[in-house]
Amino acid sequence: MNEHIVKSFEDELNTLTAECARMGGLTEAQVADALDAVVKRDQALASAVVGRDDRLDTLEAEIERKAIRLIALRGPMAHDLRRTVAAMKIATNLERCGDLAKNIAKRSLVIVESEPMTPLTRSIERMGRLVVLRLKEVLDAYTGADVERAVAVWSRDDEVDEHYNSLFRELLTYMMGDPRTITACAHLLFIAKNLERIGDHATNIAEIVHYEITGEEMISKRPKTDALNP
Amino acid sequence: MPSPQTPPPHIRPVLVAGGAGLAGLAALTITGAAPTGVGLALMLIAGVATALGVAAARRDATPPALTGPAPLVGVTAQSPYGVIADMLPDPVLVVVAEERDDLTGRRFVYANAAARDLLRLQKSEGVLVTVLRRPEVLEAVDAALFDAREAEAMYETGVVQNRIFRVLARSLGATPAGARLALMVFREETEMRRVERTRADFLANASHELRTPLASLAGFIETLRGHARTDEAARERFLGIMQAQAARMSRLIDDLMSLSRIELNEHNAPCETTDLTLAVGDVLDALAPLADERGVRFERALPAVGAALGVGDRDQIIQVLQNLAHNAIKYSVDGGQVRVSVETGVPADALMAGGESSARFPLLLPDPGPRTFVAVRISDDGPGIAREHLPRLTERFYRIEGQKSGERSGSGLGLAIVKHIINRHRGGLTVESRTGKGAAFTAYFPMAEGAVPSAATGLATKVS
Repeated sequence: MNEHIVKSFEDELNTLTAECARMGGLTEAQVADALDAVVKRDQALASAVVGRDDRLDTLEAEIERKAIRLIALRGPMAHDLRRTVAAMKIATNLERCGDLAKNIAKRSLVIVESEPMTPLTRSIERMGRLVVLRLKEVLDAYTGADVERAVAVWSRDDEVDEHYNSLFRELLTYMMGDPRTITACAHLLFIAKNLERIGDHATNIAEIVHYEITGEEMISKRPKTDALNP
Repeated sequence: MPSPQTPPPHIRPVLVAGGAGLAGLAALTITGAAPTGVGLALMLIAGVATALGVAAARRDATPPALTGPAPLVGVTAQSPYGVIADMLPDPVLVVVAEERDDLTGRRFVYANAAARDLLRLQKSEGVLVTVLRRPEVLEAVDAALFDAREAEAMYETGVVQNRIFRVLARSLGATPAGARLALMVFREETEMRRVERTRADFLANASHELRTPLASLAGFIETLRGHARTDEAARERFLGIMQAQAARMSRLIDDLMSLSRIELNEHNAPCETTDLTLAVGDVLDALAPLADERGVRFERALPAVGAALGVGDRDQIIQVLQNLAHNAIKYSVDGGQVRVSVETGVPADALMAGGESSARFPLLLPDPGPRTFVAVRISDDGPGIAREHLPRLTERFYRIEGQKSGERSGSGLGLAIVKHIINRHRGGLTVESRTGKGAAFTAYFPMAEGAVPSAATGLATKVS
């Protein structure tokens, strides 16, 4: 504990950013693995994702603790304060993404019980890859303190929504065509919804990154998005 | 996989001299143990790392001089092995760390050009976790740093053109000041993964394609034994469908077997001589009934018999032409026209022409060389193919979305067979198409030695 006290203020801030980046890496892996578990019908991978979720919770708590401690002891101002608060808020968003990934993994365990539905899984995979990519881009923007990349992620928000809407229709068609697929399709629908919400969290993070760097809110001319919390 | 590389004798003295003491020693030990052919890379990097590590270890004593990247870049650029390491095709990082629970303490202090490119680094020095977040990779680095253990992890770039790397992390020991060093080498495995995936997809597709007609057969058999038992008209109709489905299955199996036979022989090129004019004539005669059925007319522009001699197995060439002409008839509009022309003395670079905006796409290119080709061009006036589908046409079972498999029945293997046969002949294949503008496939077979190339023969005889 001693070296933390002698560490400089800047070092402490850097540690906070690094912790957030590590948590981001873990979240990315959780989402990507959960998606793989669905696509490859891999039960072991799904269980691993469920088991790893605790680590994200721990990391979030740790980041929050460190951020509060930093605010209390150092009284950061301006950009430093924004960096601290941003780390805290990003950690919260990442933790939510982790929960959604865990939920996807759990649902994949149910889907495995029924017959494979290749075209649907392909659509889910395409949508999932897009979401994973957005998460990666926004975390790259965060670690590289790159406003432009954050704005790019933020402004391409409707791509995921379009995927979600088309998948929704596809799933309805399937369920109407063959009622035996309803159980699996309902779970796929929730998986798609979860992915869409992970995409929304990526957008949130983009806004936080923008605020952290520029100190200004993003002007909301973004095309319509679903409310984040149902 | 290549065997461990030992550096050629003329490099070794430089390294040992340049690496000085610890560097040389570490380098040689690691090279001796390298099982993966990165021996030379490791040796070069070990030298760089030691130089850097010594610098990094002085961090406590003189922090201001080492916070900026400039002096570190200076070290690598000036040393001979630094320049070489920078030019290695595999991305390479050197990581330094002091304590296990200090996350920002894990810094990369060297990144070669390939690594800077892959990780989009502005500087060749920084906090590791801000450029590499993947948990498995970080764990592997930790194992190398703190347990002096060799570890591997997979790393994916995750962008649209996803690239997959195997990351190898190895301990480089510790500097005299106690900072720990590790080396990370990235080896690309994207291509290997793609092949694996293609193979899995192929099996899945083949069984899916077989299952559909089989399910239909089983269904009709059930109906015939059940309530359609006494219905004469329905029975006739069902038997007709069943026959068509059985034929579809047998076509698919024939194609699968044919493909596997061709693949077995793909490495030995045929040496017989075949007259392409005669071959085209035979194919078009055989397809005449099918063309009549659709009201499709052939327009031929063929050189005289004996002028267009290609090197190739006659039966296989006929199979290529038949598949292409059959497709042309199939996708032609009713009452349309299929044009077939043969041209001789075509140079290899004629296949390369075309760019991003061109409608022409090379599906298979022959090895570059001075030899000339006989080109058979078969074009239709059907709906054409959008550019984004062109590169994937020869993939097995590739279907253009929105195109129902039933309406234009085929095994989905025709063009894959064409490509493999032509590849065996060391020839080429190109496609030209635009949506709504028809499609033209051109097969190139090597010209037989001794045949007289003559561009004029392209229009010598015109039979309609």
